[in-house]
Amino acid sequence: QAQPTIRWRLASSFPKSLDTIYGAAEVLAERVRALTGGRFQIRPYQAGEIVPGLQVMDAVQQGTVEVGHTASYYFVGKAQVLAFDTSVPFGLTARQQNAWMYFGGGIELFRSIFADFGIIQFPGGNTGAQMGGWFRKEIRTLADLRGLKMRIPGPGGQVMSRLGVVPQVLAGGDIYPALERGTIDATEWVNPYDDEKLGFYRVAKNYYYPGFWEPGAMLVFYVNLREWQRLPKEYQQAFEVAAAEANQWMMAKYDQVNGPALQRLLRNGVRLRKWPNEIMQAAQKAAFEWFEEEAAKDATYRRVYTAWRRFREEQFRWFAVAELGYEQFAFPNV
Amino acid sequence: MDLYALMPPLMFLALILFLLSGYPVAFSLGAVGMVFGFLGIALDLFPASLLGAMPDRIFGIMSNQLLLAIPFFTLMGILLEKSGLAEDLLDTMGRLFGPLRGGLALSVVFVGAILGATTGVVAASVMAMGLISLPVMLKYGYNPRFASGVILGSATLAQIIPPSVVLIVLADQLGVSVGDMYKAALIPSLATVLLYFLYVIYVALVHPRWVPALPKEARPEAGKELPTAFALLSYLLVGVGSWRLGEFLHLPGWLEGLEILLGLGLWTLFLLPWIRTNPLLRKALLSMVPPLVLIFLVLGTVLIGLATPTEAGAMGVVGALVLAALNRRLSFQVLYGAMEGTAKLTAFVVFILIGSTLFSLVFRGVDGDLWVEGFLTGLPGGEVGYILFVMVLVFLLGFFIDFFEIAFIALPLLAIGADALGIDKLWFGLLVGVNLQTSFLTPPFGFALFYLRNVAPKEVRTADIYLGGIPFILLQLLVLLLVYFLREPILNMAYSGFGQ
Amino acid sequence: MRFLLGLSRAIDVLTEGVGRLVVWLVLLVALLSAGNAILRYGFSYSSNAYLEAQWYMFSLIFLLGGAYALKHNAHVRIDLLYDRFSRRTQAWIDVVGTVLFLLPMALGLIYLSWPWAMNSLSIREMSPDVGGLPRWPIKLLVPFSFGLLALQGLSELIKRIAFLTGALPSWSPEEEEEVA
Ligand code: NA
Ligand code: NA
Repeated sequence: QAQPTIRWRLASSFPKSLDTIYGAAEVLAERVRALTGGRFQIRPYQAGEIVPGLQVMDAVQQGTVEVGHTASYYFVGKAQVLAFDTSVPFGLTARQQNAWMYFGGGIELFRSIFADFGIIQFPGGNTGAQMGGWFRKEIRTLADLRGLKMRIPGPGGQVMSRLGVVPQVLAGGDIYPALERGTIDATEWVNPYDDEKLGFYRVAKNYYYPGFWEPGAMLVFYVNLREWQRLPKEYQQAFEVAAAEANQWMMAKYDQVNGPALQRLLRNGVRLRKWPNEIMQAAQKAAFEWFEEEAAKDATYRRVYTAWRRFREEQFRWFAVAELGYEQFAFPNV
Repeated sequence: MDLYALMPPLMFLALILFLLSGYPVAFSLGAVGMVFGFLGIALDLFPASLLGAMPDRIFGIMSNQLLLAIPFFTLMGILLEKSGLAEDLLDTMGRLFGPLRGGLALSVVFVGAILGATTGVVAASVMAMGLISLPVMLKYGYNPRFASGVILGSATLAQIIPPSVVLIVLADQLGVSVGDMYKAALIPSLATVLLYFLYVIYVALVHPRWVPALPKEARPEAGKELPTAFALLSYLLVGVGSWRLGEFLHLPGWLEGLEILLGLGLWTLFLLPWIRTNPLLRKALLSMVPPLVLIFLVLGTVLIGLATPTEAGAMGVVGALVLAALNRRLSFQVLYGAMEGTAKLTAFVVFILIGSTLFSLVFRGVDGDLWVEGFLTGLPGGEVGYILFVMVLVFLLGFFIDFFEIAFIALPLLAIGADALGIDKLWFGLLVGVNLQTSFLTPPFGFALFYLRNVAPKEVRTADIYLGGIPFILLQLLVLLLVYFLREPILNMAYSGFGQ
Repeated sequence: MRFLLGLSRAIDVLTEGVGRLVVWLVLLVALLSAGNAILRYGFSYSSNAYLEAQWYMFSLIFLLGGAYALKHNAHVRIDLLYDRFSRRTQAWIDVVGTVLFLLPMALGLIYLSWPWAMNSLSIREMSPDVGGLPRWPIKLLVPFSFGLLALQGLSELIKRIAFLTGALPSWSPEEEEEVA
């Protein structure tokens, strides 16, 4: 029999100007439309058009929109455990996150958590390992971080604050002038392609890497659970296929655009700097101390953290062999 | 009949009707949203659940820290007006420029620019200058129409010269950096001041009777004006020199400030014997200190990296409080009145924002955004045609609704078109900002006109006030043209790491 | 009518009391923000709690001040025609506007924000950022403040109807004074 025509609204947490991260929602919408002969239509709206970017989870939960495209770690104020759905400090890379989600039980673990919010979630893209942000001054030692004023939200801010950084979440329009004049010393953002657009390189030349607090930030599609259950099986299939494609599309797209963007930044006088080992070690120690504290407070967190940690160890042992062996030799030799 | 396609234009029509009823704007806007929301739900155009976005949208307004600039700059403006600081400045500048034909008018433009650099709201400037300068100008035979006009024009400088609530709100609504907006506004600010000066000189040459010089008996310090002017110029040179030296030596922000202060202090020591014998110079120096302190607090603290542009408004509040206290003008009544006025203004402004966010949510719900995009991008003439349309529309809207309503209701819709045509949002916002200056001066709803009418002496007719603003509106439109044609230099300046 | 006028007076007292507290927040938030900047610059000391406290206070000012502004007729109107009408016509416009515009909007927003705020309360929602404040109290403020606004709308409605029926000589003594 003929399938019904269904129209959904998708609220993205991102502006259209960040075309890669926002673009995944457009990929989803186009593919779903194509797979259903134009009968299942999803219209993406950029952040603020229906709800502000950081309200997307509320909006899907309340059924204001049927779909959201966002990152779960924006909502750690609701439950800290949600950070693992995106990326946590010293966590999994994009490939490992996919392995955990699709085959390591990650999706199922989080489905049980999101069900309490009336939401079902699907992996929806990844930024890959992010950059560590823009610093006005060079950071040589752990002591240089003490009292450093940095715009860094969420889990990254948690770890940085344990290293003595003063995390500040400023209004969007205030970040650039504050960094320019030294009101703050540093800000983190995403990766070369997106960072270039915001122009931080004009006012803070030291570009640190890696963004160890987000080694592979996974984006996610949230669907209102009731709407999902009312969806015809074929449309559910189409949605899952399209979401998986969007998940892959974003990572591939970022990999393609970041290389040239980094070269452009370097031509503009950006100084690329690797985090000193001392800082990475201290940060890793702080991160795991923080995980343990949270795990002691909350059973759900403990359940996810334990499963994640076991998976992480397996993955790191394996990736340290063939992948790392090849990469360590080949990448620096261009 | 396709009812669906009719919804967006019907919403506009209803909006105009509801607003004209005279019921408060915030609730009329919300009501249009509600009525069409229910209509849309009844006609099955969108699900009832879409209205559930309202708490999220209100929360977005609540957590928008940039909007703190509204109470900060309003409170500062009211305190500034009550502190007597503008009075002293206008008085001394009047004496200094007094012997010149048009001198009082020049001093008003000058003080308007100084006040503009300290405050982010127009009201304070209009009231201060209307209370103090207008009676003086009338007393010495100024044409009431020209006198009103020059006060109105100079007062609106407060909204184009940074800091400025108008620029902050525009930047926020368009999603561009406040700092970039401030930098972009520098060229139009200077151009406006310069044009005002030239216009005053033109009037002094062509209509000398409109702008007589002060008679000698009105000038107790006659003869001291020229040396005083030279002394002030020397301060300017010393100040700029110290600043350049600091830049050259790459001093950190606070040290550079100290170094400039040191330079000015040494120069004062050097001039001390002369300052002792020249009361006008003494007065001029003393009256310049408070505004310089305030300029430092609201712009300097941003430049040295002490405060964000939003926090700078709060620094200005503290400065205005201290200055008013030092001038012995800070009573409980003054403070409470200022706070109460600020609370009411903040409430009504943000409620307009809440009403308009309900309107625009439903408008998007019925695909009004697509309708607007189709309409706006369908305008003939591409980018030029679009900008011309927007400029005419904003100018016309400025007659009927105030700046906040234009920024909150019209601008988000107009930004859709700018986006579709790929017009730089910063430049677009600046064009709108310069254009919006006129909305303060165009009857029947120019805020500046209201404020001036409230404080002007009875012998100034309302018609004088309305007509007096016209030449200054024309000058502002001239600056608008300038911004249009200087797109590249303005954007380069805004986007450069200027000062780095 | 006497009962209604008593109700209206009670609401006015409530709104006025809340308003007078809110007025002080204006100064407080400015001092907090300036203090924030100075502490951060001078002592590299700051916390997201202070930054969030700023917008919490800002929210209190306009959300709770909305009813206060309504009581003092401070919500801006397009008075192109309104000013030319007689006091009676103005009262009628306010009656119709309150019943058809203000009350539906305020009640609708209470209805919409109640589950949203309750949800936040039930999970004790926090700020997502380190050192941030609990979110649920400020979310609860939304339905509460629109309740206050609806109450003040009711009070204004009573006063206009009392004026139209002759039970009150004027609905706004302070405004009349200003005109006189
Ligand atoms: Na990041
Ligand atoms: Na200004």
